[in-house]
Parts: sequence; structure tokens; C-alpha cells
Amino acid sequence: MTSVIKVEDLTVRLGSREVLRGISLEIEHGKWTCLVGPNGAGKTTFLKALLGSQNYSGSITDSGVEVFKNHDRNVAFVPQHPQIPIGMSVSEYVMLGRSKRDGWGNESTSSRKLVAEILKLTGLFGMQNQFVTQLSGGEMQRALIARALVQEPTLILLDEPTSALDLHHQIAVLNNIELLKERGVTIISTMHDITLAAMYAEKIIVMQEGRVLLNGSSDEVIHSPELKSAFENRINVYTLESGRPVIVAKKEK
Amino acid sequence: MKTANTESTLSPIWNWKITALSFALLFFVGILAVSFGPVSLDFMKIIKTLFGLPGGLNGQERTLLIDLRLPRALLAALVGAALATSGAVYQTVFRNPLADPYLLGAAAGAGLGATIAITSAGADLYSLLPIFSFFGAILAVLVSFFISGKFFAEPNSLLLSGIAVGSFATAVQTYLQQRNSSSLRPVYSWILGELTVANWQKVAWSSVYIFIALTILITVSKQLDGLMLTDEEAYSLGINPNKLRVIAVVAATLATATAVSASGLIGFVGIVVPHLVRGITHRVTNRGLLTIALVGASFLVLADLGARTLLSPAELPIGVITAFVGAPFFLVVLRKKRLVSK
Repeated sequence: MTSVIKVEDLTVRLGSREVLRGISLEIEHGKWTCLVGPNGAGKTTFLKALLGSQNYSGSITDSGVEVFKNHDRNVAFVPQHPQIPIGMSVSEYVMLGRSKRDGWGNESTSSRKLVAEILKLTGLFGMQNQFVTQLSGGEMQRALIARALVQEPTLILLDEPTSALDLHHQIAVLNNIELLKERGVTIISTMHDITLAAMYAEKIIVMQEGRVLLNGSSDEVIHSPELKSAFENRINVYTLESGRPVIVAKKEK
Repeated sequence: MKTANTESTLSPIWNWKITALSFALLFFVGILAVSFGPVSLDFMKIIKTLFGLPGGLNGQERTLLIDLRLPRALLAALVGAALATSGAVYQTVFRNPLADPYLLGAAAGAGLGATIAITSAGADLYSLLPIFSFFGAILAVLVSFFISGKFFAEPNSLLLSGIAVGSFATAVQTYLQQRNSSSLRPVYSWILGELTVANWQKVAWSSVYIFIALTILITVSKQLDGLMLTDEEAYSLGINPNKLRVIAVVAATLATATAVSASGLIGFVGIVVPHLVRGITHRVTNRGLLTIALVGASFLVLADLGARTLLSPAELPIGVITAFVGAPFFLVVLRKKRLVSK
């Protein structure tokens, strides 16, 4: 029973505002869990708390160990708004994911091989000498995913990994993330597109105003009446012939 | 046939041959600098003297080399290395390619500290300079942090508060300098930057501080790369960003303050050299810090050679030479930055 991430009475205050309010739940390892909810629900803060970089009260344990400032874990973080370093090449950028493994020294031969392999996998090979500032939104997102992949993490946290992408690249990136899951990596992401979330994630957690409203398998959550109330009844859920759910925002009068 | 798409590995990020080459450059430039002057010294004889081989310089030439030119070249090298390295580190920490030791008001604070020493201590001023400079610089950095809001506020607000603190320190410094007209000349020549008073004692104390600061910075250099990312990304890569920033800023400020108290305000080294090295190598990694230090040392040794010889027998302030090269360079970087961040 230790192979879960256990969250107990998690509360996060930013200034005078309570961003997360007494969240208690368990997240299974080896699965893709998606956090959904309106803007300001506290999804990003929850991710930062799971990363261990965010001050919190309550407790978050990963396989029985408290996560706060625990640098023994190997958790990759893919931010929604990355800081893109001026003058840094794609290979330098992706190689940063190997720095700790290589003991902050010269990158090992195996690291260089792995990075080349991952660059091919994410379609960035051949662009390794370009500056990251010259990449398109889709390419940058793939560079972020590539860096997370070479980290060979046990857990990967992704904040809106598809928000900057067109439809084609959304699917490409999500497929890349799914590859991680096949390698046994636990995935926790936020996503504003619930249809996409339901397509890829096994578990969905619906958040609203710092609380967890719904937590369950994608199917249960999508078809529960509470989902509509979380979005103030502004959505409709349809089921396609294939059985896939589609969530569409209602047009305001 | 090998093409880019069939390679199964990547070339190393940092090529250490470049570092070795920059060592050689510094050695060559150093010998060049000590051989030139009103009295030219023989190249081979200098090398023989330095390595204690027979057939070296003797008599007056030897004294000229050992007591005058060598300490001056070494001090220039130390100051150049310190300014270039701290410039590169400030640029990384504040995620701003235009940052240099003048940001944060570090150099101006050091200048104010030194001016207070010169105007109040009078005759015995040079022994007090380093202490006053260091506290002036550290104080300026702390005030910059303080007025930028949080201890680690957004990098840009820190930059702006640094400019304000720097201007304020410069204003107070100018006031003190004008009010004490008796010490106007020494203060003024010191501000423009000078290495004329180099001696072994000065080389000794500044090398201690600069060596400590540079060792710290080069030790954490690879981790510094993570500070170019968001704090969460840095954290996930195994870095403690806040702790690392404190270490980096304190060490870079120590190097800056030592350089300023040893040689006055010499501008633009911190911006020219790091960008030159990054431009040539196409790499921004801080593993290039040692190379940046060595190229910075070579740059200032050359600039000092120019200062000594261009208007010989008169001397140009070295700050004039670095500004003459540096200011146009700064504008090029500014323009390039606008292009890439568009």
C-alpha cells in the first residue's frame, strides 16, 4: 500500500488567499491522472505541491515519503509557461535533464546517446543546434517533453501540456506522454480540454475553488451530474457512436 | 556516409579544448603585455626569467619586469577574470543578457564605499579601499533586493531597483567627490579605472578574494544553468534555486567588489567577454565560466597594454579603452536581444 501518492488535508496559502483547501486523496502510480477545473481552481498550485517546491500544510507522501523539498525523488515538471533561455541550443536545453544523473559534470556518453534517441522520438533531431528561442510553440513543447523524458523520471507533472498547440500537435504531444506511461512512469497533468483528458487519462480529478469536487475513473467523472455543476452548467456531455464522450461548452445567450 | 540524421549520439555540450586554448591565449597575451612599454623587453628572455632558466633578464630589466610590469599584468588579469565571470553569473541569475556588475548597483556601491574611504581617510587611503568597497557593494545588493519587493522578486524588478540604487550611489559618490576638492584628482582617476598603482601586495590580497569567489562560481557552474529556467523546472532538475542564487550573487559580488577596489570602475568587461565567448562557442552553459574568466583576463591585460602604450608616455585610463570597445558592443547585444525575444 505504499505505491501511491497520498495527499492528506493539503492546504496552500499564497499571501492571504487559500488556494488549496484541505484536499485529501490518493493518486495511483503507473496511471495517468488528469486535474481539470475552471481557471483559478488551484490546479497548478496542486502540481507544484506534488513537485515538492511549494510550501504547504497537511501532508503529501510519495511511496510513504514526504515530498516537500525532497530532492531524492526524480520528478519531471513541464510548466505551462516555461522560461525560454536566450542563446541556448536545443541539445543544451534537453541535456539539462541529464545534469543531475551526470553528477553536474560532463555529460556521459550514454546521456548523449539517450538525448539523441529522445530527440528523434520527439521529432527534434536535426534541430539540436538551433536556439530554443527560435522554436515554434509546438517544437518548444516537444523540447520540454524531451527534457522530461531524458530525466527518466518516476513521476511527471505537466501543466497544460497542450494549451499552446494546434489540434495535430496536441495529439502528437499526448501520444508522446502516453509513451511515458508505457514505460511505467506516473503521469499527473492539468488540462482544460476535458474531452482530451477523458481520451487519455484513466483518472480525472475535478477541482473547484481549491477543493476536490470529483475524483474517479474518467468514465465515472465525465458522466456524473456533478461535472456540469462544477462548470456551472455551462457544458454539455455527448457520447459518440464509438462510446467516446465529448464535452462541449454551451453557447451563452 | 554519415549525415546529421543518422548519427546516434550528440557531440559534447562543452568543448574543453576551447578552455585549454583560452589558457594559452592568456599566457601569450600576458608575455606580450610585459614585453611592451617605454623599454621593450625580449620575449624569450622574459620566458626564461619567469621559468628561472639561465639567459634571462638581468639588472634593471629584471626589476622592471618583476616589480612593475608583472604585478600590473597580473592585477589586470585578476580584475578582468573577476569582472567577466561575475557579469556572466549576474546574466544567468537575473535571466538578463544585459546584466553586468553594474546591475544591482554592485559596482557603484563599491565605488561609493571606496570614495568614502578616499575622501575621509586621506593619506592612508589604499589600505582601506577593499574593505569599504566590499561593504558598499554588499549594501547596494541588499538594498536592491529589499526595494524590489520580495527577496527574490521578478528578475526585471530587481534589475530596475539595481539601476536606481546604482544611480543613487553614484550621485552620493559624485557629491562627496566634488565637496572634497582636495581629493578630487585621486578619486577621479580611480573612477576612470587605473592599474598604475599595481604592486605585489595588491596582487596578493585581491587574488585571495577573487580566487575564492571564482572557485565557488566554477564549482556550481553546471547548476547555474538551471537558473535560466523557471524555479519549478530548476527544482525538478535537482537544484535548490533560492539557495543557489544567494551563493551565486554573494560570490559574484565579492569578485566585483574586489576588482573595483583594486582597480576602480572598469566598465563593460562583464558584458563584452561573456557574450564574446558565448557567441564564438554557440553555447550559453556556465561550464564556460572558466573560459570566460580566462578570456576576461586576456581582454583586460590587452586593454591595459593599450592604455599604457597608445598615448605613450602619457597613460589613458583603462576604463576609456574598455568603454570604447564595450559601448558599441553593448548596443549590438541590445539589438540582438530585441531580435531573438521578438
